[in-house]
Amino acid sequence: MKLDLLTGSRSRILAFGLLAIALIFVGRLFYLQVIQHDYYVSVAADAQQSRFVIPAERGLIYAKSGDEPVQLVMNQTVYTVFADPETVTEPDEIMQSLREIAGGNLRSNAAELLEKTDTRYQILATKLSRVQADKLKERSFTGLGFQAVSQRVYPEGDLAAHVLGFVNTEGVGSYGIEGALNEELQGTDGVLQSVTDVSNVPLTIGNNNIRQPAVDGKNVVLSIDRNIQSKVEQALIAAAERTGATNVSAVVMDPATGKVMAMANLPTYTPGEYFLVDDVAQFNNTVITAPYEPGSTIKAFTMATAVDKNAIKPSDTFVNTDSIRVADRTITNATKGITGTITFETAMQWSLNTGFVTIAQRLGNGSEITATARDTIYTYFHDKFRLGEPTGVELAGEAAGTIIAPDQPTGNAVRYSNMAFGQGMEATMMQVASGFTALINGGSYYTPTIIDGYIQDGEFNQTTDISRLQLV
Amino acid sequence: MGCAYGLRRKAPKQTQTKKHHHMSYQQNQYYTSRRQQNWSRNQNTTRYVSAVKLGPVAHTILVALMITVLGLIYLTQATQATSYDYESQRIDSQIADLNEQKADLEIENARLTALETIRNSDVAREMTTPVSTDFVE
Repeated sequence: MKLDLLTGSRSRILAFGLLAIALIFVGRLFYLQVIQHDYYVSVAADAQQSRFVIPAERGLIYAKSGDEPVQLVMNQTVYTVFADPETVTEPDEIMQSLREIAGGNLRSNAAELLEKTDTRYQILATKLSRVQADKLKERSFTGLGFQAVSQRVYPEGDLAAHVLGFVNTEGVGSYGIEGALNEELQGTDGVLQSVTDVSNVPLTIGNNNIRQPAVDGKNVVLSIDRNIQSKVEQALIAAAERTGATNVSAVVMDPATGKVMAMANLPTYTPGEYFLVDDVAQFNNTVITAPYEPGSTIKAFTMATAVDKNAIKPSDTFVNTDSIRVADRTITNATKGITGTITFETAMQWSLNTGFVTIAQRLGNGSEITATARDTIYTYFHDKFRLGEPTGVELAGEAAGTIIAPDQPTGNAVRYSNMAFGQGMEATMMQVASGFTALINGGSYYTPTIIDGYIQDGEFNQTTDISRLQLV
Repeated sequence: MGCAYGLRRKAPKQTQTKKHHHMSYQQNQYYTSRRQQNWSRNQNTTRYVSAVKLGPVAHTILVALMITVLGLIYLTQATQATSYDYESQRIDSQIADLNEQKADLEIENARLTALETIRNSDVAREMTTPVSTDFVE
């Protein structure tokens, strides 16, 4: 049968018109579905999929109580209560409930914030406990939301505050072990990418789901003994009251391992309320951050150097005249009157500067602090006892101090005569204490450490890699 | 009905009984494939050929029905998987709540056994300094 429709000009035009429209549709669909395929797939994925961060739990910090680890720093989930004033329907009831339940966690201007109906997000209360948040949730107020936040808590209060440091509002560890081991403590957040429903509940349907679990931070056990630490802190308070000193510090170490058992400073602060501190210098752990002239404590190092080099024996004698001349300077004793021929042991007992300047001279040619004597003192002080260098203890902000080398213009005989009794040089308390461990344990220098081990899956694994260097 | 099953020992080629029964819906065919001839001797099979002829519309409807059924099966499965997701989410939430409770209890325990708490306890307050102390050597 012949199609008469196609023979007419109008029909033909209509047919071509329809064909043209069909071709336009086909072309457009080809463009959208084939050429723009990847783009629209990604747009669809963005609309259907959500990416969640699975937060890693920050590692806990323990101290020791004898051999048992006890928690010093823990994590607690607290809640921030926020409102969308535009959608809130019962502002008065919300405020009444917040006053009843949130108490001191309620912001003083919460009622005013709730009245700002042209805004969509106002924080009304912070740091609510789980129980408080649950009570508020039960009342199902429209426009009221809760955000869980993890915060550090310190069951022992301000014990070992300078050792611990704190975690700032951005979740970054600052000062102390929190700052030094921030990477280890914070862990690695996980990722969950998934198709979600309207309530943002992740669903397993979809081909591009990703689930990468979080890796929690390490639980660190410090070598700090909480009983010794507490006693040291009490002693510091007593010392400050007795002497009127404004800054007091103390460190206790095990000379057989280099492990720090207590470390404290005054003035101190409460890590959980670090934001109340006005002077940031208060955060500094001066045991490691503040180099000072160690003074007469260094006489033990000078004596050890000379004995080890066979320059003297403690029973050897010298003539003490309460002063001694070095180049153009005269060095005198603080304690006068122990004059005449006395042993170096006596000079140590009375802390006589003249005796130790004499020892420095005997490391040279006997009457002068020669270049050889200065080299020897520098080698022992700096390279062996590690004075004037960061010790490497696992705490943030450790300072180096200064030991001026003999090849420096100021590293002359006068400088080294002063260094023989602990002046003209700077070291931290940590360096001096670490050097002393070598003096009293038979000559082994232990790199000081504040970490005793780690707790993994509830099991305490003590660290065994102690850095030991035999000096003599 | 007259649909007799029969076995033939050898079937050199496909055979077909061309009996047409008045009220019957199907016919039986004795059928032995060439493969069976070669490898499966002494085994005959039968096949059924529908007596009802379906037109293109019926075919289309049947195919559409099948697709619908398959779609329903898929949807049922997807919904089932989604219900597991909600269950999983509920259990995860429950675990998180219990972990929070556990952490709160651990914190409370740590606070109660803290040195400051012990020092300020009634027991500690009632302790007195001994008048004299002896040491066993």
